[in-house]
Amino acid sequence: MKKIVCIIGLMLFFLPCSYAQEKINILTTTSDLKSIAEFIGGDKVKVDSLARGCQDPHFVEAKPSFMIKAKNADLFIRVGLELEIGYEELIIDGSRNPKIRIGQPGHLDASEGVLLLEVPSAVKIDRSMGDVHPMGNPHYWLDPLNAKIIASNIANRLGEISPQNKDYFRENLAEFNRKIDKKMIEWQEKLNPFKGQEIAIYHRSWPYFVNRFGLGIACELEPKPGIPPSPGHLKEVINIIKQKNIKVILMEVFYDEKPARFVSEQTGVKVVIVPNSVGGTKEAQDYFSLMDMIVDRLAQGLSS
Amino acid sequence: MKKILFLIIALFSSATCLYADSGSNEIEQLKEEVRLLKSQFTEMKSSYENKINQLESKIEQFSQPAPAPETKPIQTAQSPQTNLGRYFQNFNPDISVIGDFIYHGTDNKNDAVCNQFQMRQAELAFSASVDPYARADLFLHVEPDGDEWHVGLCEGYMTLLNLPIENLQGKVGKFKANFGKVNRLHLHSLPWVDYPNMLTNYFGEEGMSEPGLSASYLIPNPWNQYAELTFEVMNNHNSASFAGSPGRDMVYLGHLKNFFDLNEESTLELGTSLATGPNDDGHGKNRTTLEGIDLTYKWRPLKEGLYKSVIFQNEVLFSQKDNVVYEEGADPKQVNSWGAYSSLQYQFAKRWSAFGRYDFSEFPDYANRHDNAYSTGLTFAQSEYCFWRLQFKHTDRDYAKDSNEVWLQCNFGLGPHRKHEY
Repeated sequence: MKKIVCIIGLMLFFLPCSYAQEKINILTTTSDLKSIAEFIGGDKVKVDSLARGCQDPHFVEAKPSFMIKAKNADLFIRVGLELEIGYEELIIDGSRNPKIRIGQPGHLDASEGVLLLEVPSAVKIDRSMGDVHPMGNPHYWLDPLNAKIIASNIANRLGEISPQNKDYFRENLAEFNRKIDKKMIEWQEKLNPFKGQEIAIYHRSWPYFVNRFGLGIACELEPKPGIPPSPGHLKEVINIIKQKNIKVILMEVFYDEKPARFVSEQTGVKVVIVPNSVGGTKEAQDYFSLMDMIVDRLAQGLSS
Repeated sequence: MKKILFLIIALFSSATCLYADSGSNEIEQLKEEVRLLKSQFTEMKSSYENKINQLESKIEQFSQPAPAPETKPIQTAQSPQTNLGRYFQNFNPDISVIGDFIYHGTDNKNDAVCNQFQMRQAELAFSASVDPYARADLFLHVEPDGDEWHVGLCEGYMTLLNLPIENLQGKVGKFKANFGKVNRLHLHSLPWVDYPNMLTNYFGEEGMSEPGLSASYLIPNPWNQYAELTFEVMNNHNSASFAGSPGRDMVYLGHLKNFFDLNEESTLELGTSLATGPNDDGHGKNRTTLEGIDLTYKWRPLKEGLYKSVIFQNEVLFSQKDNVVYEEGADPKQVNSWGAYSSLQYQFAKRWSAFGRYDFSEFPDYANRHDNAYSTGLTFAQSEYCFWRLQFKHTDRDYAKDSNEVWLQCNFGLGPHRKHEY
């Protein structure tokens, strides 16, 4: 009798496990999307990203091991606007996972409905303009308001994939939005004293951030997007920085510091190196700490 | 009485204090909410301002001055066909063109195109999805042939992406055989100017590319490692190792690709290949069997990945060819021969990389003849779409005169060429 009770007890113990739902596997292209997806998905999802935060997200290689990650994914989330043009198609094709093909519910373009900047207005664009993105600047996640839209896109799609958890994702979305609203006050308070000031940047990753916090961009170290700084162009940059009394060069962690240091030596401008993605440095562990870090370092640079 | 009064006063005073405390809390809360509302309002304002700016710039575009009336032809209402044309344009494949220009200098007097400029190849590539189940890629090559130019189909195949069996993909058409690493690369995507001697000696000038069928399967495994098994059946048209003439038989080929992430910055790929097919004109019992092993190590740091990388690529090929007649009147016999190359590429700046390659190769028909070649060079990537390359190669031959060669290559691409595999 005891044995039977024991067996029934064991069966009852394992029953909830067998009914326990499997987590939704999400694969994102960048670590920022991963951070937001983790917030929205909570304990219902398992998220991995292809690019690491300290990597240039334009130049991720289509490693076969990424195809295995994509093979196991229920949802693939990309930044879009052709940021992933160099590897997305190869990885999805190589994964042999029909769920995440473009147009399927398992494929989400996080840029749906975001406020876009720098959508080329020229009738014809070509590569003489550098690495121009024909659909607009893809670094939109650096505007916290766009992060809200990304989060909403993810919550909606997760709700479609797992309707029984729809309310859970909506609650997490509301919490995410509340946190962004609260943080926005803090970030704005820190950067408000510098409103209207212009900064120099390395690559055009920062227009969304600068636009949100009322700053301006005086010049870029790259002569054209994706083209490395040339001595002639740096001379022009030095002139602009001197003329406009620019205080800061804001640049990402993965670019060569030497051109910025050279300009700094010539002009006294401060070089502020920050990650533009989550995980770019140890401190930038999630979307909020990433933005904290950018805001704090930039404010420090501008105030000095 | 005094005590009672004192107590009453104390009670009142504490009550007011409590009231004041809760009042100040409420004020703080209200202040917080006002700040929140203020920030939300600023956000809304700036987002609407942005939208208005975008709309204004669009209006500006549309309201640009129209051309002078005399130059403007009378416009009719847009015909539905025009709209239809635009609609169909969405279905056009991605088209790209790659030009490969070289100067080839050599002290080998037998080389017909020595010490000359040469537009070595123009590649036209078309690729698109065929339907929800398949995509297709076509690569046409325009190449010089003496004073003439000829157009050839280098590859043209359809990949079946959604087959009923999980993890299985198929390919039909003409494609480069999945033997080793370098045979699948087009001329413009090589990390050197020329193919290694091993490849040209055993597969011909541009490798083995034949019409056929291919099936590849991702092997599930408990370690979640990438392991892909490919099986291919191709026409027996390759003359370097196989029959080289139309027949009823085929070349059968198998390839196993294993890929390991050593860490986030370095990877190792280990592949094994096997190909077999008849080699005699009569397509009879004489066969050639080729076995290959390829090993590639890649390193690219995460943070400095734009500026530094290393690729160490090696391949070895063994051949057993039946019934080769060495000399007239001699008995035919099996020739066992082999070839290999080892290449090291080091990227030391965003645009610059250097490479060195060592080639050793016998010949499928002559195991007693071999090449030893030493190459070195420098690549300058003008941009992602154009590179310049200088290469020097010294070849030691035990059957002919040694040679020294130098190339200057300029390779440029137009359009959205599909990226190459890792």
